[in-house]
Amino acid sequence: MASKLLQTIFDKRMLKDSVTKLSPLYLAKKSPVMFTVEVGFFLVLAIGLLPTMSTEFVNENRVFYIESAVILIVTVWFATFSESLSESQARAKVDSLKNLEKEVMAKKLVDGKEISVKSTSLLVGDRVRVYAGEIVPRDGIVHSGKAFVDESMMTGESNPVFKEQDSPVMGGTKVANDSIVIEITSEAGKSFLDEMVGLIESAKRPKTKNEIALTILLAGLSLIFVTVVGTMLFFGYYLGYHMDISVLIALLVALLPTTIGGLLPAIGVAGINRLARDNIVVKSGKGIEAAGDCDVLILDKTGTITEGARRAIGFIPMEKFTEQDIGEASYAASFSDHTHEGTSIIELANEKKIEPPFMMEIMTARPVEFSSETRCSGIEFSQKKNLSGTQTPTLKTSLPRTRVCAKVEGLEESNIPVKILKGSVEAILKIATNVNEPELRWKAQEISKNGGTPLAVAINDEIIGLISLKDTLKKEIRTKLDEVRVSGITTVMITGDNQLTAQVIAKEANIDQIIAEAKPSDKLNRVVEEQLKGHVVGMIGDGTNDAPALAKADVGLAMNRGTAAAREAANMVDLDSDPSKILKVVKLGKQLLMTRGAITTFSIANDVAKYFAILPAMFMKDNPKMEILNVMQLHSPESAVLSTLIFNAIVIPILIPLSLKGVKYKPELPEKTFIKNMMIYGFGGVVFPFAGIKAIDLLLSVFMR
Amino acid sequence: MDIIILLVVLVGSLGLAVIFGRYMARLITYEKRPLEKTMGQVENGFYRIIGVDRYEQMTWKQYFLAIVITNVIAAGFLMAVLLYQNNLPLSPKPGLSLDLAFNTAASFVTNTNLQHYAGEQQLSIFSQMVGLIFMMFVAPASGIAAAFAFIRGFIRKEFGLGNFYVDFTRIILTLLIPVAFFSALLLLFLGSPQTLDSTITMGTLQGGVQTIPTGPVASLESIKELGSNGGGFFSANSSHPFENPNGISNVFECILMLVIPLSLPIAYAHLIGKGRGVSILAAMMIGFGVMLALGLSESSGPAGLETRFGSFGSTLFLETSVATNTGAANAALSGMSPNAVIGFFLGMFVQAIPGADGTGMMMMIIFVILTLFLVGLMVGKTPEFMSMKINPRDVKLAAFVFLIHPALILIPTVLAYTTGSAHDTLGATTPATFTQVLYEYSSASANNGSDYLGTLANTPFWNWSTAWIMLIGRYAPIGLMLAVAGSFTLRDRKEVVEPIKTSGFLFVGVLSVMVFVLTALTFFPFLVMGPFSI
Repeated sequence: MASKLLQTIFDKRMLKDSVTKLSPLYLAKKSPVMFTVEVGFFLVLAIGLLPTMSTEFVNENRVFYIESAVILIVTVWFATFSESLSESQARAKVDSLKNLEKEVMAKKLVDGKEISVKSTSLLVGDRVRVYAGEIVPRDGIVHSGKAFVDESMMTGESNPVFKEQDSPVMGGTKVANDSIVIEITSEAGKSFLDEMVGLIESAKRPKTKNEIALTILLAGLSLIFVTVVGTMLFFGYYLGYHMDISVLIALLVALLPTTIGGLLPAIGVAGINRLARDNIVVKSGKGIEAAGDCDVLILDKTGTITEGARRAIGFIPMEKFTEQDIGEASYAASFSDHTHEGTSIIELANEKKIEPPFMMEIMTARPVEFSSETRCSGIEFSQKKNLSGTQTPTLKTSLPRTRVCAKVEGLEESNIPVKILKGSVEAILKIATNVNEPELRWKAQEISKNGGTPLAVAINDEIIGLISLKDTLKKEIRTKLDEVRVSGITTVMITGDNQLTAQVIAKEANIDQIIAEAKPSDKLNRVVEEQLKGHVVGMIGDGTNDAPALAKADVGLAMNRGTAAAREAANMVDLDSDPSKILKVVKLGKQLLMTRGAITTFSIANDVAKYFAILPAMFMKDNPKMEILNVMQLHSPESAVLSTLIFNAIVIPILIPLSLKGVKYKPELPEKTFIKNMMIYGFGGVVFPFAGIKAIDLLLSVFMR
Repeated sequence: MDIIILLVVLVGSLGLAVIFGRYMARLITYEKRPLEKTMGQVENGFYRIIGVDRYEQMTWKQYFLAIVITNVIAAGFLMAVLLYQNNLPLSPKPGLSLDLAFNTAASFVTNTNLQHYAGEQQLSIFSQMVGLIFMMFVAPASGIAAAFAFIRGFIRKEFGLGNFYVDFTRIILTLLIPVAFFSALLLLFLGSPQTLDSTITMGTLQGGVQTIPTGPVASLESIKELGSNGGGFFSANSSHPFENPNGISNVFECILMLVIPLSLPIAYAHLIGKGRGVSILAAMMIGFGVMLALGLSESSGPAGLETRFGSFGSTLFLETSVATNTGAANAALSGMSPNAVIGFFLGMFVQAIPGADGTGMMMMIIFVILTLFLVGLMVGKTPEFMSMKINPRDVKLAAFVFLIHPALILIPTVLAYTTGSAHDTLGATTPATFTQVLYEYSSASANNGSDYLGTLANTPFWNWSTAWIMLIGRYAPIGLMLAVAGSFTLRDRKEVVEPIKTSGFLFVGVLSVMVFVLTALTFFPFLVMGPFSI
């Protein structure tokens, strides 16, 4: 750790940067406060070199001037150093992130032949062939072929969607079967990492609104102090004090908000950098700041609040059947379903030690694939009369017979094809009518009430029972959400689930509001609605249909696995595609603003002690009454001025870690945060320099006798 | 006894402010007032005369322009009266010099009332009555109207800041004139004269004949205090027995000075929230309390003080007068203790504890905006004022308001020394004379009007320099502050909860500290070089 730190500190490019940034031209444009300090440096240096220029206003010895000049330029360098340090940290992070940026290989068709190329090199109009299991490299339309495409990562819809010629396909989706030729229709997105690099490089970095407002305030304060110190020269002179220009410059520099002025750029870059450490790429500084203001978060249920993978948690039989029955039927219906849900059903059955007796039939059965018309899946037994005839007896003897088993046998014997299907209650009701419908609906509702999703299982026209599927809450999501709520943020959960299920999950995760049975357009509507009420809205998204909402939201966090359109529209991209990171972004945004506020307050509060150090030094020789102001009892006027300047300079590097790490943020009432910060940085800012200046003065007095 | 007097002043002014504040709230929203019909008819007559459409609403620029135009016309009229008073009726006296006339016109139109002339000797009754008393209504009415427009900026959405001519007419006719009239009657009863004769001649005890200057003193006196004007009929101002006959009138005048500045936060409370208004009032009272405490911490006089009022009566009156930027004086400033003088400076530097009629309230809200800027950053939110985002432009305008004041005080003070004018007028430069020069410009820039120099400063240098400072110190901040209100009125209102309430103990505490720290950081060295070193 220590060696790593040293390595970054002695990074050559960074040191070079910090020195080139000393250029007055650069400072005049970027940091008016530091520019003023540098002008002061040139003035004091000139006096030090030509002490004879004035007898009236130059009356200290040469060493003092040179010392002061050195401290002044070091002050400026500390500021540029802090900026370069945070920039170099961010640059290093970007390099490591580049490896994470998503790039897939695509098979481009050139003269009928397939050539493997990187997806980023594709141009609009290129055709690529995508095989089953491969990822569609970019948005396009199907040129030829037909296939099912798994769009679950974009839309959350877990059922593959059928695509044929001219259907649009989204980049990032996965072809489930067959192969299709796709014509690329979208431009390669400008790499968002490049945008981030632009944010880090100081020359290109645009200032955010808050930064501008703060810079104006600091410039205003600086102008006031220039007026104050400038006129003091005259008043002191006319009142018969021995005024010294360099002491006045020292007073000016001490009063100027150099601490915040010097650290302001570093704080901004550090915010970007800290997000990058969590693999979040920031595309605009505005986004981070807005994150701090966020008071409404629109969260997708799937993936953010819940794991996004539903698991079977129970089998609920209809009145006529037992748990064993529905277990067996579910097992059969899920046998060829290799989705997460399907395997979880088999696992649950295994856990409950349920295994259907008619395994042979199941294994030889023909899978019934999920289709968008029927919206159910399962198996259909092959009709092999002979085989079934020979096998039935063995089954009968090895296992106890269940109603389902008997039913299957009965059907087979009467030569009726056996179909065991599972699907949503509505879908199954369409094909299976032999059921007590009120009972089924009541049981399904019970499952919903507990936050689960019911799946009905039917053998031919008879419904056996229900499988309860449930999405599990993400680890620690509740604590995370509670933290967010304390700081006054309203959470809104958006989900395709029905009202009941949504309410249960919302209750479990402690969510304030829900939008159930949501259509894709609901997200955008909600964002606009909240913004009209004056809220600052943060949201996450990954699908193309999220793009308008992401663009409209004040903080839009796109998932890296999402479509290019989504990543383009959002102002941040999470390379890990972890939606719950939005909470982290909000926290960081707040921290960023707080760090600025805290250091500004500290910087201004420091001025009190600085007056008490320099004013006595300036006036005491000529006016004994000023002795009362000399509360610190500093060694000599020279040591008072020098120790104030040294303190002023050294505070910058002392606060570099704070500005890079950010002020501690605890989720609590804003009022509490305010009082705490005010005590530490406001009150502490008044007291600390008294101690600091006195300590430095004691040290200096050893050398100065 | 002293404590009872202090309580009478505070309770009296706050009590009246509660009544006035409610009435002002109605004026701000153009709601129905008591006697609306009768008053409406009178006012409509005025609108017809000046040709104003009373339903027209103005943008901040139009409103500001209307203030400036009205004030320029009024100031031009006053200047003409002063220059040519020898040709005018009622005890004509020689016309004033151009620089003195300009200074006096600027001084009265800006609600400053810095007096480089001796009223009873240099001005005719006509100039005092038609010129000055008229202006003593125009100036505070302009200031109060500006504050009305400013407050509207925060409660209205996109329909302008109101109509200046309507506000101006209504403030003068239905607020200032009635109150001033009854106050004048009370002062008359307490012993102030009200006559068109310029002198009374009477025999002295020793048998000689004495000529005593007099005039319409009571009517001038009441609006002088009520309108935070401060320009006395006599050069002795409120220490003259005609202007301030006894202890009761001393207390009454203090109440008059405080009432309008204190009723604006009450109006604000009615319109924007009880807690918010009361908190602003509390912050003002804390500042005023500090001034009083400074003044009372050290006994003043006895040289330069009226024996009728003593140290307490003089300090109470002067601190009140400076705090409200009235500038009336019932004792010579040179008789006041250094601590009391530091208190005066504090009042003039802050200009908002409670400050002049109208502008004090505006200034305090600018402090509130700046405080909220820092508060917002401290809790990790983009700063907001009343749930409206504070943007860089607001900060820029507010920073200018804060920059103008020290620049207008310090730079001219330097000029007074480099040109030698200070030396010519006051002799050797000592902390005491430096204090006087600094005070002169602080008073001019804050539109206060109290001063050490008086007729000593009737030289072209002082007249021109202070005149321009008074003008810039008045109109630049009003323009900037109206611009702030103008941009807020365009902003979206929200129902969002503020992260830190803009009311309650915490906020009052933070606001007070902010006011104090910002002022101290700017002016501390000068207080050290000036009054502190006396």
